[in-house]
Amino acid sequence: MSNRISPDDLMRYLDSEMSPDERARVEAELARSTELQREFALFQALKSDIQGLSFHPATYQSSVWDKVNAHVNRPVGWLLLIAGLVIWMTYGAYVFATSSVSPWEKLGTGAVAIGILLLLASVIWERLQEWETDPYRDVHR
Amino acid sequence: MQRQLELELIRKCKAGQSRFYEPLVRAYEPAGLRLALAMMGNTEDAKDALQMAFIKTYDTLPRFDLRRPFGPWFFQILRNQCRDMLRSRKAKFSMETLDELVELHPADTERGPERIRQRNAAKDLLWRGLAEIGPEHREILVLKELEGFRYGEIAQILDIPEGTVASRLYHARSALKNALVGMDVEYP
Repeated sequence: MSNRISPDDLMRYLDSEMSPDERARVEAELARSTELQREFALFQALKSDIQGLSFHPATYQSSVWDKVNAHVNRPVGWLLLIAGLVIWMTYGAYVFATSSVSPWEKLGTGAVAIGILLLLASVIWERLQEWETDPYRDVHR
Repeated sequence: MQRQLELELIRKCKAGQSRFYEPLVRAYEPAGLRLALAMMGNTEDAKDALQMAFIKTYDTLPRFDLRRPFGPWFFQILRNQCRDMLRSRKAKFSMETLDELVELHPADTERGPERIRQRNAAKDLLWRGLAEIGPEHREILVLKELEGFRYGEIAQILDIPEGTVASRLYHARSALKNALVGMDVEYP
């Protein structure tokens, strides 16, 4: 390469990242040096060929939007579900506790409800533990 | 996508209206896929990286500075996602063959079978050459040649000083040239 034109200058000229003055200086040097002309022609050919290379895969048909959308909207859905459940359960517990049914009936029903909640919590806890150690948890398919 | 429209969509997303994220995803998906493919080498891993990058982009939108362009910011997240996946060995770089990856340009089909064969052979060589060079070379070539980013934008995406972009491009192009020479291909 010409010692007056650095490799960086040649790249900037090739990529149209130079001011008119700088371009004129490179062009003057290109007119003078056949070595520089060869070097430039090589990089120009590479540039043109890469630009002609299409990367769009033939097998890529579906957009990733559905998966992205599911993730983006999931927190809102969970928030609404949990808020609704808390409201209904609190209200239900209040109505149940202040109702006129016998204490034995309240005790039995309360035990069943607490048992179901404990089982549900243990399943959620187990799934959470599995999720934390899953190496593919970030990959949505 | 027009800058004003893009800004409006981002503003709405920042305000929590996630349905306005879809046009952004669809607009940046083809270009994002090209970069991800160049870095990961195969469609499956590229799709995973792209998907995660869009999710991370949405999650960090509240911190996005509206005075800056969205494209380079998204590509920076995508590029970091690809690098993280390669580093954590959740994905291993493996280059698919060109047949698996590339669709013909519509113009190719109008020029006859021999012309198509020649073009595909040349593309195949180039693709193999790109597979030979490192991901740091491939990513900058894709950003420059396929996505057409300016040096300033490339510097932002790759998180490097603008003054080193020309040097990085020179080394990437030289590496590709050497890889092609190694395959007995003469340029130009």
